[in-house]
Parts: sequence; C-alpha cells; structure tokens
Amino acid sequence: MSARPPSPAIQALLRDLGSNLHRGASPSAPLQRFPTGLPGIDRLLGGGFPRGRLSEIAGSACCGRTSLALALLARTTAAGEVVALVDGTDAFDPPSAAAAGADLSRVLWVRTPEVSDALRSSEHLLAARGFALVLLDLAAGRPARIPSSAWSRLQRTAAGTDTALVVLGDRRLADGFADLAIEMSGAEPRFQGTPALLEGLDGKVRLVRNRMGPHDCAVAVRWQSARAA
Amino acid sequence: MRIACLLVSNLPLAAELRAHPELRSAPLAIVSGPGSRAEILAVSPEAARSGVRPFTTVVHGRAACAELRIRVASPALDRAARDALLDAALSASPRAEAAPPSSGLYAAEAAVYIDARGVASLFHSERGFAGALIARAENLGLPAVTAVASSRGVAHIAARKCAGAPGATEVLSPGGDAAFLAPLPIGLLNPEDELAEALTRFGIHRVRDLTRIPERALVTRLGGGVRKLLALARGEESDPPIPAPSQARFEESVDLEAPVSHLEPFLFVLRGMISRLVTRLESRALACGNLDLDLDLEGGQRDARRIGVAYPTLDPLVLVRLVALSLESHPPPAPVESASLATAGSPLRGDQLDFFRPAGPAPAVLSRTLAELEALCGPGRIGAPVVSDSHRPDAYAMAAFAPSSSSGSLARDGDAALSHGSLAVRALRPPVPAQVHAPLGRPEWIRSALANGEVIHGAGPWRTTGGWWSREERFAFDHFDVQTSDGMVVRLRLDLVTGCWQIDAVYD
Repeated sequence: MSARPPSPAIQALLRDLGSNLHRGASPSAPLQRFPTGLPGIDRLLGGGFPRGRLSEIAGSACCGRTSLALALLARTTAAGEVVALVDGTDAFDPPSAAAAGADLSRVLWVRTPEVSDALRSSEHLLAARGFALVLLDLAAGRPARIPSSAWSRLQRTAAGTDTALVVLGDRRLADGFADLAIEMSGAEPRFQGTPALLEGLDGKVRLVRNRMGPHDCAVAVRWQSARAA
Repeated sequence: MRIACLLVSNLPLAAELRAHPELRSAPLAIVSGPGSRAEILAVSPEAARSGVRPFTTVVHGRAACAELRIRVASPALDRAARDALLDAALSASPRAEAAPPSSGLYAAEAAVYIDARGVASLFHSERGFAGALIARAENLGLPAVTAVASSRGVAHIAARKCAGAPGATEVLSPGGDAAFLAPLPIGLLNPEDELAEALTRFGIHRVRDLTRIPERALVTRLGGGVRKLLALARGEESDPPIPAPSQARFEESVDLEAPVSHLEPFLFVLRGMISRLVTRLESRALACGNLDLDLDLEGGQRDARRIGVAYPTLDPLVLVRLVALSLESHPPPAPVESASLATAGSPLRGDQLDFFRPAGPAPAVLSRTLAELEALCGPGRIGAPVVSDSHRPDAYAMAAFAPSSSSGSLARDGDAALSHGSLAVRALRPPVPAQVHAPLGRPEWIRSALANGEVIHGAGPWRTTGGWWSREERFAFDHFDVQTSDGMVVRLRLDLVTGCWQIDAVYD
C-alpha cells in the first residue's frame, strides 16, 4: 500500500515549523552539541550548544557573556572545527580569544557595518554549511528592532544544517525563535591583592528557555583575568 | 627543434563569433566601419554561400543577401581573441609565443608558435598534441588548425595550407620540411608585393623553383630581401627558442556599438565578458582574483576601478554579482562606450582532507561565500583574526581565511574541562573619550558615554610604550582596570602623548 502524499496544508505547516519538526528522525538519536569546556555550564545546557538550532546568550555589559562566547569559540576550534564570528559591533578582541585558547586560523571574522548586514552575513554562512558554529554578536550595538521574519529565516536556515547558530545580545533578541536561551547576570568583579589587581568576574548563568529539555535553572560561573593568571 | 603553429585564419570573424555565439548560423559580414560604404573585411560561410564577398562594400553585400548581419570590426575583440589563442597554446605547453602580425593576403590571420619538444610522451604523439591544441582553442570559441614542423616558418606555412578546413592538422616528420615545401605555391610564403611580382616575372611559381636557383644569383637579381624568403623556403630556423611567458594577465574587452547608460543591459555585456574570462582562466588551471574594470565613457571620461575578490573563484555568477554590486554602489557618471575587464590569474587552491578532523566548508562554496561577504561588508572586513606582534593596545590584523585541515592536535570530549573561564574584553573601536578626575594620578571619578560615576575599585597603572623612533607611530599609555558605581568594569587609559583619557575596552 502506497502512502498518500501530505496535503498542501500539512506541507505548509511542516515548512513553517522548521526546526521544531524532524521528520523521520529516530526519537533516540541524540542531538549533537558543542560544549563550552566549562563543566557547570555544559551540564546546565545538557552538553553544550546544539547543532542545527538557534541559541541565545543575553545579558547586560560586564556580565561575562563575551567570555562565555569566546569559551565556546575556543573549545569548538580546538576540536578542529571551523567557526564564523559575525561581529555586528566591531568589538571582537583577538588577544582575548587567543587567551581563551581559540585557534584563530579557524575563525572567520566578519566585521559588518550594519546590523542588517550581520543578519545577511549569518544567512550566507549558514547556507555555506561546513561552519560548525556561527556566532552572531549584536551585543552593545543598540540594534534597531529586528523583524521577526529575520529570526524565522535564520532559524529555518540553521535547522537544515549541522551548524549551531548562537546570538549574543544585550537582551533576548530572537525571543520565541530561539531553541535555547540563557541569561547572564549578577556579575561581581574581584579586585584583590596589594597593589590591587582585577582577578576576574563572578557571575550567574540562568537557562531561561530550552525546547529540548528542562529549563529555569541556574549555575554560578567564575571568569579569571589574564592579568591575574 | 619541433614547433607547432596554432592558426586562426579569419580572426575578425572568429573574434566576433566568440563574443556573439548566437550569430554562428547567421550570414554575417565584418566591416571596416559604420555606414553603407564600409568595406567588408570578412564573411561567414553562410554569407559566402549567399554570394557575399570580402573587399566589397556593405551595399554590395546587402544586394547579394538581404538577411546579411553587419558587425563593425572591433580591435578590442580581436585583441582578446589573440590572447585567448595564446592561452589555448599555454594550456598544453609551457612555452608559447604569439606570431608577429601578418600582412598582405594573410593580414586577417592570428597564429601562435608552441614549443613541441617532448610532447609525444604527454599526448601519445605529435598528432595527438596537435589535436589537443585544436580542442582547447575550440573550447575557447576559436576555430583553428595546427601544424607541427621543425621551424616556425614551415609550421606556419603548413598551417596556412590547411586553413580552409577548421580542425585540420598537419604533422611533418623531422627532416621532411623541404620535401613538403617543394611543391607548394610561392604565395604561401607571403612574399612582399614587389618581390612576388618579380618572382612571377621570372617564372618562379613553386617553392622548388626558388630553392633550385643559387642564392648568389637570386640576391644579385632580386636584392637582399630574397634571403629571408629563401631561408623560409629551405625550412631554416633563425629565431631564438620560444621563451616561457612572463606573468599572466587576462583581459577581455568590448567596444559597444552604442553607449549604454543603464546597468541591466551593461550587465548582459559583462556576463559574456566574465564567462569568456573564466573559460580562459580555467584552461590555464587558474582562478579569478581581483578584477580591474576599466570603462571608457561618453565625452572622453574614464572610470577605472578595482573589484576585490576575497577568495580566487571560477564561479561566473559570483563575479557578475560582485561587479554588479560595485556598479550599483558607484554608478559610472556617463554612458559606457567600451569596457575592459582584467585579472591576474591566481592559483586554484586545493584542500587536503584529514581522516580525523571535520572537513569544514567545501572550498568552492567557501570561495563563493567569502566573495559574497566581502561584497556585502566591504574590502578588508573579513578574514582570519591575527594577534599582532606589537605592544600597541588596539593592534590587530586580519589574514586571508584559509583554514588548514591538518594542523594542531585535536581536543576530545572531556579534555580541558576548566573550573573557570578566561575573562574576555570587548574592544571599543574607536576608544570612547572620558572625563576623569584623578587628583593623585589615579582615577577617582569618570564621566563618559559608557561608564559614569565614582570609581569603586581600581587597579593599575600598567604603562605601555612603543614607536618612540617615529613621531607618527609613537604611543605611550597608562592603563587602569576600574569598576564604576554604575556597575561597569572597563579598561581606562591615559594617553601620555596627548594627555587625554579614553576607555578602550569593556570587561565582559
């Protein structure tokens, strides 16, 4: 007996739902993830940032969001993967990434002049496939309102690939389109010693959205300054 | 010595059909200029069958064939076709050179001499080599014939002999040049008009008639100019060996019949140029790097621009898109009369895959993506970050992005599990100016667009100096790590050269 093809309405629904539906996928097949190398955060995320999904790191300035993003970048390049950093605010600091352990030769740095260019660049990079991670940095850029259609398009493009798309922002930008979202807060700098030295930041990471598992849990994290190390 | 001659007998027609392949089956005449009195320089076989003859006028041509398509001869197209013929030769042999332009009866031909020594081991035989040359010329849109002989002159004459049948080859066995030349008419040697007339007057019609006469007797009667003809008739080679060509540069040009002021029709012309350029590059196993677009505009103006190509590519769609983006963002100020597109060929990059390492993006896709990103973001804004070998705080560099698939050791799951992460900074480009109250040399209070308020904690200063040997490069900073009362943790610096305070990074 031959199976009937799905009706146009069902086809449209499958198209719209994008990454939320996985036809033919075995329910037991584990989702591949990119760990950050920080055990507490990786446990919180269920192993790391998922491939083929849109994830978000949100938080105000000085909360450690960039440090977390660079830790992910470093760990991913150390595994031999090629990653892309779409720098929407021209704030990437190569020495910080090198200090975090990133293999900079495997990082494609895209410095976009406008937020709209950053979104289009991310689409190009996702469509290219082969990049394990696309990190879209829109933090501290005071971006104008980004239409939800842009996030929908990015989410669907990422869903058809093995690429993890991670958005970095002052607040949650992708909102309902993100499959996973974490918020960072409560960072306290540690100035210690005589003369005083900035030893690092202590902060908190809260998983606020997770379509693949439980959420609303938090973990403390410590960032150590290169000067103190 | 073994020399091959690759010859296109009717270059104006071949150049026009190469640029406009849609005219291949139409009766076509190439004329010397605009107007009905212009002379017909070349005709297609279809036009010849209809009775159109070269060296008549357009009026005569139209009288013989009402459907005759007329195109004005374009020096730019001829030049590009000559270059393409040389590319076809260089795709098969490392040594080739263009023959000097012919005159008289053979003024319309274009020829290339190719070093054919040792080619039999690569192409099985010299005939196989000749066939390969014709196939490569055909691939570049040029109908050619090939001959192989022991000297340039004999190879050229042998090629002329079979010019009537495009695709024909003639291979003379070593030492057989004189026997081949002997029965040929003297006209194939293309003597000067005066000399040809004198030879006819003396009853010398064949090459063997010429070689039978002692050289001294010929020189006494016909002058020193006959020596060159005699050497050619004997198959003697007096020119030096064919040199290897210098740096490759590929150029395609077009003269437009009427000035073009709109982008869309001009892009149609550019698509053809780019397609021809890519085919030439492909034949030489090269890819297209930066493009130089040179436009001659109405009123004598000129528009020259360089279009950056981030990663050498052979994808014509990407190249057309890059050119279109450049023309859209900076349109030429006047209608375009002629265009020239040039590039230096860049080596094609291969990718050596690793058994244990992820493959990464496919080189062809990466090339296209990088080109599109560069067009989107501007030149110099994409690449691999590099930590500069400098103490200057804001120093950084970008290198071409070419991830190696076989360097370094791989981390495995469970490796390098850290109890803490590395604290990163976000760079501020340019640094944010700040008003700082520092009565004892240490900041106590800050006002800026980023951080404001009392300094709660502070560390420093760390002095960084360098470039002292040059007034322009000199820098000296005192850096402080500070936490302000509004919760910001920033890197503050005092520029000791200008005395200004700035925030150049935020700890995040």
